[in-house]
Amino acid sequence: MILREDLMLRHVGDDYIIVEPGQDQIDMSRVYTLNETAAWLWEQLQGKDFNSDDVTALLLERYEVDRQTAAQDADALIALFQSQGLVKK
Amino acid sequence: MKDVKTINQNESQQRMHYVIADLLMEIYLPRTVNSAEALPSFAPFLVEHTDGDPILSVTVGFEKLQDDMEQTKLLSEESLVWGDHFQFRESENYYYTILRTSTKQEEWKMRSSKDFFHNEVYAVENEIQSTTVLSWLLMVTFAQSALRYQTLLVHASVVEKQGGGVAFLGKSGTGKSTHSRLWLTYLSGYQLLNDDNPAIRIAADNKVWIYGTPWSGKTPCYRNVGVALRAVIRLSQAKENKLEWKRGKEALITLLPSGSGLRWNSGLFGAMTSIFQRVQEYVPVGHLNCLPNAEAALLCETEIEQKQINEVRE
Repeated sequence: MILREDLMLRHVGDDYIIVEPGQDQIDMSRVYTLNETAAWLWEQLQGKDFNSDDVTALLLERYEVDRQTAAQDADALIALFQSQGLVKK
Repeated sequence: MKDVKTINQNESQQRMHYVIADLLMEIYLPRTVNSAEALPSFAPFLVEHTDGDPILSVTVGFEKLQDDMEQTKLLSEESLVWGDHFQFRESENYYYTILRTSTKQEEWKMRSSKDFFHNEVYAVENEIQSTTVLSWLLMVTFAQSALRYQTLLVHASVVEKQGGGVAFLGKSGTGKSTHSRLWLTYLSGYQLLNDDNPAIRIAADNKVWIYGTPWSGKTPCYRNVGVALRAVIRLSQAKENKLEWKRGKEALITLLPSGSGLRWNSGLFGAMTSIFQRVQEYVPVGHLNCLPNAEAALLCETEIEQKQINEVRE
C-alpha cells in the first residue's frame, strides 16, 4: 500500500498532526494526532509501496523490541491507517 | 480541450488595478460599466500606476458561458450569502462558481483556473451595478490566489488601536460584530478595521499583519490599512466570561474553521493550513467564552495585554 500523497504531516508545537479536509458538502475536516513513532514511520514510508513486513523491519531497526511485538505494532498501525483512509485506495 | 467561447480582453474593456493586503489584483471591466459604481467598496484600494505582477486576473463580460455543466462535478450547493441559489463545480481544468440573486434572476457564472490566477466572470448586465455579486466573486478569487503569497482571508471582525489589531473569530451568529462593538464602546482608542473578511499576511521577517479589505459583510468599513496582529480570539456564547489561551495543535484547530482555503484542493488547503500554523507560532490564539457585555471586552483586552507582558518576560 501507499500513503496518500495529499496529506501532509505537520509538527505543531509538541504534536505531530495530519489535517484532512472534508470532501463532502458539509465540512467535516479531521485532525489526526500521531505519536513520535507513528510520525517517524509516516516520514519513512513517504512515496513507498509498503506492507506489514516493511513496517516491522523499520521498527526493529530503530527500537529495542522483539520481532513479535514489532509485527503486532506494525499490523495495528496499518489497520489504523486503512480504517481511517490514510492510505491510497 | 473543446472549443469554448471565452471573454476576450480587448479595446472594449478598461483595466483596473487594486492593491489589497499589498497584493495586486488586475480586473478587466467592460467600458460601459462605471467601475466606481460597480465596485464601490474597492475605491480605497484603487491604484493608478503599478509595478510588479498581479496575483490574479479577472475578466468581466456579458457573454454567456457555453461550457456544459452536466460534465462537471458538484462540490457545494450551500452558501451563507446566497443560500440555495449557489453552486460550486469542478471540471478537469476549471472551477465554476454559479449563483443567482433570486429565483427569477439569470445566473452569474465564473470560470477559474485551478490556481485561481485566471478568472472569467460571465455577468448579468442589469445586476452589475445594483448587486454585490461581482465584489463577492472577486473575494472568491482573492481568497484562493492570496494563499500563494502567505496571505489568508479570514472570516473575522477586527478592531485596531495604535497600529495593533485583534481579530475575533466565530461561527456566523456568534456575535463577532457585537463583540467588536463592545470594544469600540467601552474601551478607549479602538476603531473597527474590518467586520467580516480581513486578510492576515505573514511578512518576510515573520511579522504577522492584518489588513482591511473591500469585503466587510453588512458593515461598510473598507479601510486600506494594515496593522500588526496582536491576538486572534475565537468567541463562543456562554453564561460567563472566560478566556483560555491555546497552543500548538489546539491553536491551529481554533484557527482552521475560519480560513477560506478550498478544502477540495489539497494544494490550496495545505497552503492555508501552513499559514495558520505559522500564525499560531507568532501570535497568541485564545478562546473567549463570553456574554455580550462590557466585562467581556475588558477581560479580553486585559488578558491580551497580560499575555504580551508575559511573552516579553519569557
